[in-house]
Amino acid sequence: MSAEQSLDALAAMPDPAASPIGALLEAELGSLAPVTARRPYRQLGMFVVASLVYAALLLGALSPRADLGELPPMWLMGAGAAWFSGFGLATYFALVPKAGAMTPRWRAAIATTTITAVAFVVLGLGVHPDGAHSLHYGMPHLLRGHGCLWLGLATSLAPVVLGAVFLRGAVPVFSRWVAAAIGAAGGCLGGLLLHMHCRIADGPHIGIIHGGGVVVAAGLAALLVPRATDRPYRS
Amino acid sequence: MQRYQAGDADAFRQLYALVMPKMLGYLGKLTKSRAAADDLLQQTFLKIHRARGAYVAGADPLPWFYSIAHRTFLDEARKNQRAIVRTAGDDVPEVPAGITGESADRSDAPGADPELARAALDALGELPPQQREAVVLTKLEGKSVAEAATIAGTTVGAMKVRAHRGYEALRKLLTSAKKESVA
Repeated sequence: MSAEQSLDALAAMPDPAASPIGALLEAELGSLAPVTARRPYRQLGMFVVASLVYAALLLGALSPRADLGELPPMWLMGAGAAWFSGFGLATYFALVPKAGAMTPRWRAAIATTTITAVAFVVLGLGVHPDGAHSLHYGMPHLLRGHGCLWLGLATSLAPVVLGAVFLRGAVPVFSRWVAAAIGAAGGCLGGLLLHMHCRIADGPHIGIIHGGGVVVAAGLAALLVPRATDRPYRS
Repeated sequence: MQRYQAGDADAFRQLYALVMPKMLGYLGKLTKSRAAADDLLQQTFLKIHRARGAYVAGADPLPWFYSIAHRTFLDEARKNQRAIVRTAGDDVPEVPAGITGESADRSDAPGADPELARAALDALGELPPQQREAVVLTKLEGKSVAEAATIAGTTVGAMKVRAHRGYEALRKLLTSAKKESVA
């Protein structure tokens, strides 16, 4: 009696006899209401537009950084594009499944979350040009810049809430990772806003506070978002 | 699925009739008990029903159904703090009736040796839930490692390891069971 033979015998057993639909499910079918199918690309569009409008409104309520005109334009555009790419990629992988599939691309979402979280901390620590109107707190006064962390998290609020609504029921497994990607997307949007607003230009502030915002947003989203997305799967 | 989403209850009944045997067989192999598998099946379909808005038009819903069944099984196993719903000693005498819904010795499926199937089912029941599921998905349900990993929400590498360890443990369990029966 080999394992292979036994498994083959088990696999060859006929299909089970019918099991009728349970009373609870029958009751729910009795009042079956139509629902709208999930449209990932439409959700992606709505997510990006709504998040950007929200971030633009926040930026409008604040002020652009005072040293904006003194910074290298290539760095300004490159860093802005990097923040936006992080936001867009994490959102895409968290919301849009492969063709023919239903669940988001969680492996790509994990990779994007990890790469953005690490990259923005490292790049922030390493690359931080400044101008005459820039501020420098440095490591000893790092915590004086904590307002940026709160602002980044406030910016990530809209994307995270939208993600929780759009992904409700879509991720029966690995929901924490997909939620983390949504959080990372929000954190990147926060980073983009801070890039346009904050004139503190030292490495520790940009790396740990701005880049760390991605890590914190991803962690908080991983903790909180599955409470909403997993609701249909609770027994 | 789209008709079901549009509010057609008959479409759900058709879907249920189509998918139920496969899901029940899968859950039966995981739980080793028809009653437990039935209960998990109802929970799974209730969850599918409540999450039906998440369906993406044109997508294959079967991996999603399996993922929900997987999650339901693991949640239940954790909740009960037991991996196996044991039938030994209770009043369900016909194993593997848990899978087939009929007595094994009445099974006329070609190649289905009830004794071997019973031994495999007993040995599967001894495995930790994750290894058991890996073996069931890859060896019994005919899923590729990548499909099984997607259903279980893990990486392909982790699924390979689980399936390999599960299979090795199963092999040892079956060998020792054979020795015991000979002795």
